[in-house]
Amino acid sequence: MARSATSARGGPRERGDTREEPDDVSPDETTGPPALAVEDLTKRFGDGDDAVVAVDDVSLTVERGSVVGLLGPNGAGKTTLIKCALGIVIPDAGSVRVFGNDVRDGRRAAYADVDAMLEGARNDYWRLTVRENLRYFATISGVDPDSVAARHDRLLDRLDLADKADTPVRDLSRGMKQKVSLASVLAGGAELVFLDEPTLGLDVESARTLRAELRRLAVEEGLTIVVSSHDMTTIEAVCDRVVMLSNGRIVADDTVEALLGAAASDAVRVASPDLDAETISELRERFEVVDVDRDARPPAMTVAAGGDRLYEIMDALRAAGVTVSDVRTVQPDLEEVFLERTGSDLGAGRGGDPR
Amino acid sequence: MSADATSPGTSGTAAESSAPTDTARAEDEPRPATYYHLARAVLYREFLIFVRYPANAIGGIVVSLFFFAALFLGGQLLAGQALTDSIEGIVVGYFLWTLSVGAYSSVSNDIGSEVQWGTLERHITTPFGFAPVALLKGVAKVVRTFLTSAVILAVMLLATGTRLSLAPVTVVAVAGLSIVSVLGLGFAAGGVTVLYKRIGNWLNLLQFGFVALISAPVFDLPWTRFLPLAHGSAMLQRAMVDGIRLWEFPVADLALLVAVAVGYLLGGYLVFQFATGRARRLGVLGDY
Repeated sequence: MARSATSARGGPRERGDTREEPDDVSPDETTGPPALAVEDLTKRFGDGDDAVVAVDDVSLTVERGSVVGLLGPNGAGKTTLIKCALGIVIPDAGSVRVFGNDVRDGRRAAYADVDAMLEGARNDYWRLTVRENLRYFATISGVDPDSVAARHDRLLDRLDLADKADTPVRDLSRGMKQKVSLASVLAGGAELVFLDEPTLGLDVESARTLRAELRRLAVEEGLTIVVSSHDMTTIEAVCDRVVMLSNGRIVADDTVEALLGAAASDAVRVASPDLDAETISELRERFEVVDVDRDARPPAMTVAAGGDRLYEIMDALRAAGVTVSDVRTVQPDLEEVFLERTGSDLGAGRGGDPR
Repeated sequence: MSADATSPGTSGTAAESSAPTDTARAEDEPRPATYYHLARAVLYREFLIFVRYPANAIGGIVVSLFFFAALFLGGQLLAGQALTDSIEGIVVGYFLWTLSVGAYSSVSNDIGSEVQWGTLERHITTPFGFAPVALLKGVAKVVRTFLTSAVILAVMLLATGTRLSLAPVTVVAVAGLSIVSVLGLGFAAGGVTVLYKRIGNWLNLLQFGFVALISAPVFDLPWTRFLPLAHGSAMLQRAMVDGIRLWEFPVADLALLVAVAVGYLLGGYLVFQFATGRARRLGVLGDY
């Protein structure tokens, strides 16, 4: 969805009216301020010993048109970071700029370009129909709903909601409600959209559809999307770049490929019924055995196998009389990267959830 | 709705050929919404919910009438002739009470629901700012309350055989301004609910306090005129029982009516502003 009415009216992103060059990207589009610039943001909840630092001196820049994932366990500070960016939570220190507008000073200007789907919130009116919601929230975001009626139709088409446009939201399935919530967020033409746990509570199929649609919207409409999730499947499928948060701090910030590449351990997982304790301990003396899974059927072990080590491992296995039933290279995922960087896994949030 | 005119089929055809697409794209460049669009959207939403879910309104009317019946019949048993003599006053007072309760609870409950639905944040993070949205919602609630209370008034008049002066401009102006002060209390209560969820339910009990305000002894204790409802209630009695028209009231009375309305509305809004500001610092806005 293109720029909001407010910025189209007077911002640097206004197109000249001298010549129509539909495919030309004006230099301002690429050199303007980033979609989101967070600087030294800190937010503490509570006082004294009970105080929890939800966001701890976080700096982050999100370029226009990119899709960035915030990955971290519950309580890592994802939602607080998003709420600070929206102005719903006022930070203790630091600043947030949305397309160059400070969220604190020029809030109203910033609000025109940003919207969010927050975790667990309905976000829309269940007693209104899908289209009525889109029109209502477009107006609230500062856009004349009649001027974006065709856009809304396209959006509903794209999200497979066209048939349900005139159905009250309360009569829709959970997956559809989630999509309406997303549509209502996109209805006002916000260019920067925060999606907090967008696939939470959806069944596998609905979650997959939503992920595919998010990716498509980002590419086709040039939206800047920040997706927060503790579900790495969503992040891996949708995002170009991942920012990992743990205890309010950024522990990693890179492209998905780079993060996975850095974690690539050149390890192989060998499975065989002949892998008994004795054989494994012999192999341990010569190779770096990363992991042993005796409960697997057949038992398996993971061995570091960089360079020529793979051949040596295979020779050693043959010599030990091990008939290999399965060999596969170990693919690291974001979960492992997170574990490596923080020493804790994504499922383990800290006790309280300060959000 | 004009959006219905552009069916998905039409936009599909346009997308198939490339030349018209550019024009279509240029045409659907979003235009900024004005306060007119905002007013239309907010009022239209209230209207849709009112007509689509009439059970809520009808339920409110039935409950109010039941209370009045209990009051009227019970009062007749206890007070006999004395009650019949003052029945006009009771009908007018009860009418104003249903108006006040309607305005107060619709605003404070509405804020509570919006917090739960996660829609309150979206109204706070609007480029229009929350004030005009809240004000328009308040207007919509007042209009809606007038409609239901008018039904209650009509039934009360028919059932008791009472005759009152019903000059529409006078009644709407005086009663309307009287309950604007209550609207302010509703905003304040809504703000407190945003901060302290549980207290919200207790604040609903405040509506019974309105009875005391409506029957406040403004002649014996003139300072009570500065409380919400009290002065307006006295003026509404004179208008509806004695048939005094709006322009027949002393200017000072009218000025005080307006001042009390604006004062409490502003005060209530400031409390709401303060409460949401604090909720944003504490990070509890939209937590439920």
